Amino acid sequence: MSEYVVEMKNIVKSFGEVRAVKEGQFNLKKGEIHSLIGENGAGKSTMMKLLYGMYPINEGEIYIKGEHMTKLDPKIAISHGIGMVHQEFMLVNELTVLENVILGFEPKKGMTIDFDKARKDVQHYIDQYNMEIQLDKKVSQISVGEAQRVEIIKTLMRGAEIIILDEPTAVLTPQETKKLFEILANLKAEGKSLVFISHKLNEVMEISDRISVMRQGTYMGTVNRDETSPLDLTKKMIGREVFLNIEKDYSKAGEKILEVQDVWVPSQKETSKIRGMSLCVRAGEIVGIAGIDGNGQSELIEAITGLRKVEKGAVILNGKNVTNKSPRKVREAGLAHIPEDRNTRGLNRTMSIEENLVAVELDKKPYTKGIFMNTAAQDKYSEEMVRQFDIRPTDYKLPTSSLSGGNAQKVVVAREVSMNKKLLVASQPTRGVDIGAIESIRNTLEKAKKQGAGVLLVSAELEEIISLSDRIIVIHEGEITGEMAASEANENNLGLLMMGGAKNTKQKGEEAS
Amino acid sequence: MEVFESLGKIFNVSLIYATFRASTPIIYAALCAAITQQANILNIGTEGIMLVGAFTAVAVSYFTGSWILGVAAAMGGGAVIAMIMAVGHIKYDSEICAIGMGINLFAIAITKFLMQVLFNTNGTFSDPAIVPIPTVHLPFLEHIPVLNELLNDWCFTEWFVIIFIIILQFLFYKTVWGLRLRAVGQFPMAAQTAGINVNAVKYQAMLISGLIGGLAGAHLSLGYSTQFVENMTNNRGFMGVAAMYFGGANPVLTAVGCLLFGFSDSVGARLQAYGFPAQFVLMTPYLVTVIVLAVSMAIKLGAVKKKQSSLVTG
Repeated sequence: MSEYVVEMKNIVKSFGEVRAVKEGQFNLKKGEIHSLIGENGAGKSTMMKLLYGMYPINEGEIYIKGEHMTKLDPKIAISHGIGMVHQEFMLVNELTVLENVILGFEPKKGMTIDFDKARKDVQHYIDQYNMEIQLDKKVSQISVGEAQRVEIIKTLMRGAEIIILDEPTAVLTPQETKKLFEILANLKAEGKSLVFISHKLNEVMEISDRISVMRQGTYMGTVNRDETSPLDLTKKMIGREVFLNIEKDYSKAGEKILEVQDVWVPSQKETSKIRGMSLCVRAGEIVGIAGIDGNGQSELIEAITGLRKVEKGAVILNGKNVTNKSPRKVREAGLAHIPEDRNTRGLNRTMSIEENLVAVELDKKPYTKGIFMNTAAQDKYSEEMVRQFDIRPTDYKLPTSSLSGGNAQKVVVAREVSMNKKLLVASQPTRGVDIGAIESIRNTLEKAKKQGAGVLLVSAELEEIISLSDRIIVIHEGEITGEMAASEANENNLGLLMMGGAKNTKQKGEEAS
Repeated sequence: MEVFESLGKIFNVSLIYATFRASTPIIYAALCAAITQQANILNIGTEGIMLVGAFTAVAVSYFTGSWILGVAAAMGGGAVIAMIMAVGHIKYDSEICAIGMGINLFAIAITKFLMQVLFNTNGTFSDPAIVPIPTVHLPFLEHIPVLNELLNDWCFTEWFVIIFIIILQFLFYKTVWGLRLRAVGQFPMAAQTAGINVNAVKYQAMLISGLIGGLAGAHLSLGYSTQFVENMTNNRGFMGVAAMYFGGANPVLTAVGCLLFGFSDSVGARLQAYGFPAQFVLMTPYLVTVIVLAVSMAIKLGAVKKKQSSLVTG
């Protein structure tokens, strides 16, 4: 028997034509925290989902505690002591926390579920690891941090010895992250083996014993934490030194392009409701919105772009009141919009690159001739876009479903930027795209700004916000908690505001400005 | 005075049983739809399953002389139809509404065809050889005036539906299978990661739904009446689906919705005797369906909107 509780050798996994994992290697020692790092789309989540049996592997071998696993599904993985805390929580919102924890492993009493025994068993783990969990609340009523603790309890209840955490800190505040790390340290002390997936190097350096790096589906090596540095890891992750800090030129902002005046917006989630937000974007500047995911960013963008109803307040674009106007009307008033989810709102994935490129201008000349489409003009425009934005493959008649994340996003960016609108709203423009595309997309935004557009940028990556923006607005639970010039911003002062810092010292109910 | 007398004739004790009697087939249909709805499958084929069940029950009862065999065969027939839908929807990933409507049209055609082939008749098949589901006669009630009228001589399947509602309520909310069923319906990925075979649960739900739908049909043709009439379900399956929506797939609330339909049906039938136009009377159950659904949706949407509003502090 080897020293490893998990060994994954020469793993290959494709989804359709996309090879998510080309050459995956991974091993895990008992009682260690082993981080798996890499950029978005490097294949780290996929590797761990394969270990958990969510999909079958195409090639390679998986050993759990020395046993060669020829067949693997979540049930088998669980029975071999593997537990996984998914990036998106696998909790049923309408069931209670307790029901979620026991799902699939319910203790029985005759024909019914033995809730008393379940409660006692769960309480045992809650006490042991000192977690705060309310068992009788519905999942829809608890916080993100608590939901994550529920996920950890779930794996423990199922007897997990090996626990995989897929980007667990992405949705947490710094305090919640600290609490999570304490729990992880306790689990390690109990002899559990942990896999920590992340792309945040400071966190990885803080808690790991060993670190494995993946790049574009390929294993790049494993190092001991004590023998590496963030710089070293970056090189491994990206393959070269990258300067994403683009030349910034904040000469002068012009007139107000967008004004958001005391806007109130509804949301499914309490923390995402926007309660009285006011801001403006001027011509020739990039305004970055910083905040932890789910604090109203999406709602704000949807309210501005006409995709969500505004309950109170006004949105003024180019001097026109566009409050609660249809998306089309808002676009006609001067909006270009790179939506946060390119697959549902940015693109029609079954239609071609060309059709997606002309989608928003389809009814205008020169793309129409009377009631007919002017395919010659569309072809010419598509050819130009494919060349200018380096979209691959270059055959614009192909459906966008065949494109990689980066190229698909380039199609969206090309369409929106080429219209030269007064306001460009870019929501998570580089999420899940490769490093080359990130560079080109960032340069495109900077160029749009230089040409006089006002840009409103929302990003989960603080680094992106800081390096691109001229002005940064920080939001927390649907209110603005601070605003500063990008030159004054760093991860610390932004982080504090993202946790609601300044707001807490203000009078409650006071309007954030 | 005359008005009061008439009202007294419409709204009297016997209306209670009439309501329940009219509701029972719809309740069975609604429960057939509720169980798949819990697995997030809209069983629009309830109508067709029920119709096939009704025909099978009459045919088997006629040939074997046994109502039990008739009911059992009806449930089996319903299950077969439901499994066809299940394979199409779950294995081949086709749109459930399309399959469901296909099944409904198929059911009308196949029952009509088989009626021609087996019984050489059109429209209605009625024969003394069809053995109905027996009624339950309780001798001790005979001398108690109101209760006798209310409770005596119910059809066996009318009593059973009450037990059945309770069984399903227990199954959904107290058992392991019910918990898994609800998890599969609300968030299949969560169920899958908990090691639950999502498709197996969906197949099971469809299978049980088929059995219930067959029973619904058997009750209609051997309990509620003793005959088979072309398209005799007469949209009761759809009303069941509507009631299921009204009750949010909760068996007890769903049954309450069905009683509403039964009530409007019974009152309508009585109104007809007082010169109300037949067309209007026939319209009432459907009108009630639309109104009930509209009102319950409006209430639900209003609640959601209020919950999501930024102006209300939660």
